[in-house]
Amino acid sequence: MKQLGLAYFTDTHLTAMGLLIFFCFFVGVLFWVYRKSSTPLYHRMEQMPLLKDGE
Amino acid sequence: MNTTGNLIEKIYYDDDIVKKFTLATMIWGGAAFLFGLIAALQLAYWPMNANLEWITFGRLRPLHTNAAIFAFAGNAIFAGIYHSSQRLLKTRMFSDVLSRIHFWGWQLIILSAAITLPLGYTQSKEYAELEWPIDIAIALIWVVFAVNYFMTLRARREKHMYVAIWFYISTIITVAVLHIVNSIEIPVTFLQSYPVYAGIQDALVQWWYGHNAVAFFLTTPFLGLMYYYVPKAANRPVYSYRLSIVHFWALVFIYIWAGPHHLLYTSLPEWAQTLGMIFSIMLWAPSWGGMINGLLTLKGSWHLLRTEPLIKFFVAALTFYGMSTFEGPLLSIKSVSALGHYTDWIIGHVHSGALGWNGMLSFGMIYYLVPRLWKTELYSKSLLENHFWISLTGVLLYYISLVVAGITQGLMWLAIDKEGSLVYPDFIETVVRIVPLYWVRALGGLLFLTGFLIMCYNIYKTISLAPKNVPDAAVAVERTGFDEVTKEAHRKLEGMGLVFSVLAFLAIAVGSVIEIYPTLSLHKYVNPNNITDPYTPLELAGRDLYLKEGCYVCHSQQIRPIAAEVLRYGPASTIEESMYDRPFQWGSKRTGPDLARVGKKYPNLWHFSHMMDPRAVTPKSIMPAYPWMAEKNTDFLVLRKKLSVMKMLGVPYDQDVIANADIHAQKQAQQIAADLESNGAPKGLEKKEIVALIAYLQALGQKGKAQ
Ligand code: HEC
Repeated sequence: MKQLGLAYFTDTHLTAMGLLIFFCFFVGVLFWVYRKSSTPLYHRMEQMPLLKDGE
Repeated sequence: MNTTGNLIEKIYYDDDIVKKFTLATMIWGGAAFLFGLIAALQLAYWPMNANLEWITFGRLRPLHTNAAIFAFAGNAIFAGIYHSSQRLLKTRMFSDVLSRIHFWGWQLIILSAAITLPLGYTQSKEYAELEWPIDIAIALIWVVFAVNYFMTLRARREKHMYVAIWFYISTIITVAVLHIVNSIEIPVTFLQSYPVYAGIQDALVQWWYGHNAVAFFLTTPFLGLMYYYVPKAANRPVYSYRLSIVHFWALVFIYIWAGPHHLLYTSLPEWAQTLGMIFSIMLWAPSWGGMINGLLTLKGSWHLLRTEPLIKFFVAALTFYGMSTFEGPLLSIKSVSALGHYTDWIIGHVHSGALGWNGMLSFGMIYYLVPRLWKTELYSKSLLENHFWISLTGVLLYYISLVVAGITQGLMWLAIDKEGSLVYPDFIETVVRIVPLYWVRALGGLLFLTGFLIMCYNIYKTISLAPKNVPDAAVAVERTGFDEVTKEAHRKLEGMGLVFSVLAFLAIAVGSVIEIYPTLSLHKYVNPNNITDPYTPLELAGRDLYLKEGCYVCHSQQIRPIAAEVLRYGPASTIEESMYDRPFQWGSKRTGPDLARVGKKYPNLWHFSHMMDPRAVTPKSIMPAYPWMAEKNTDFLVLRKKLSVMKMLGVPYDQDVIANADIHAQKQAQQIAADLESNGAPKGLEKKEIVALIAYLQALGQKGKAQ
């Protein structure tokens, strides 16, 4: 069964699938990151290194 | 943000561990730069090895690269990670004991590398040279680090993880995966092993590892440090936090695929090469996004360069990051690789990254950390300025001389005249031409080391003048971010360390599996008509000596299907020719000529004379002499064990050959020794290493059925 499955799984398919997974995820990240509603959060996040807590 | 009702706690950060790692960075950095300088001088002037086998180029270079990557950069990363994470997470490291085990364990590993590499114990896989017991130790110490880190994450008081933490997490996970997968090997003796991968498999796994060591040991952790220390030093937030997230995910996804760009034009299947090239070119975008993000963070605070001159190191580091991430994709284009691969251009490229990016960033970070850790001021800002300008000049000299050397030599190798023959058929001509540039490179290295010594003095003065016995100050922290409404998914993700880690793991795992899996079914690519014979026992003994002496750091064994190369070395290498090679010896640098088909090119005596003193047969050669190989005896008995491990791994040796491997080998050795003697070499060489080595050299390219 596993052998059979792998037989259909030629190299180019693997590559194409990987690319597709990657691309979809990446577009997802873009949308997620650039959502307007996240502005205040990012504003707080970017201040994190600057807190004066026991340098 | 609703944070009312939270307790304010007084805690102490563990800065002692940061101090330890910082000092270790300085000590090993000095060693790494010194080894590099000696190695550079050896290429300009071969007697610089003082005829000592332990520091001949083939053994010194791995010592230098391991020291630079794992000792210098490694300790710098740990110092920065332990310092910044505690503050970003508002939590002391989970366990002081684990931190110390991590520290001392890592230093012991470095020490054992510094002992075994000069002695010639090596797997000969670049940046993964250390033998199996040390590999196991690395895995264990890395797990200690990971446990310590993830438990700290769990106990954190700040729910949201700043982007630097993301970079650190991906580093911890990926380095573990890379190290374990690439180090799967079968021990032969206490300090020798054979990898389970052979030929193209080994090549692909090794460069998947090698490239991602650059990505996840020298890039992602340093980017994490950059995203923390650059805003900190400039006292302004990162230019675009959003861009930093995109930078992160794009890097994690793309980097893992780019390894095969080290194998362009080799016998690796075409699709894998193309994949490596495409992803490498894609890397350009996120890398520059990151560089611009870093540099723009400093926008509007250029006046700080005068009051906080350590920022200069960050500016230089980011610029070199940009330069080398522009050059990397360029070198991954097949036609550029045809010219640049195997030349000093690559070495120049690597050093613009290692000295320019990792070095400068580490120096900036150390200048930032030391006064704060020891609660004092830096001893001298003008010494810092001197360090900066001297080391910048050093890196530039280094880089420019090697790029010029690489392109010059590459063009000479490729030059073909109208009649279709090589313009420079003598390899040594192309070496002699660039030796002056090797001197310039060594000068660059000397300047870099000089700058570093100034830093050592400055840091030493800073620490020794620091007020003694100042108790650590407690820090008031409160839990933040936990009581937010977490209905929105994107906020949740940022707070969920575990989910995030799994996602990051998946990102690298998908790429890795897709890339490596197909070559695991090697048989698909091997043409049964071209199957080669395995090495004879004596040849195998010789091969292991070739690994031990590190011949692969100067010699490739892979002829590319490029006209000039086929003219110079013979038909392009095939998959079958390295199918039993554990480890593969394709090499990555041609300081000397390719050896894939050197077998039968010269008589045995030529090799003997050449190995005893290369200048005897090739005047002006820069290859080291190996006189000790005519004195040391070959270990014949261990061959039975070696062959049986090979057999276990699938090399078709007859049971009789394995059981009598030593006798077979001695017989062949006698023949070669007799031939040497009848042509004028000294008597009684049959037991000596040199004979085994010659047997191996004469077998190269001679094992195919076609021959
Ligand atoms: C510092 C780099 C360096 C190292 C290390 C090195 N070589 Fe060389 N090798 C060269 C150079 C340069 C040449 C070309 C000049 C010459 O013939 O000596 C060369 C030439 C050769 C040749 C002649 C190839 C030909 O086709 O003419 C052989 C064989 C050889 N080396 C074997 C070895 C072996 C075996 C080792 C390890 C024990 C080794 N080399 C280590 C640099 C190196």
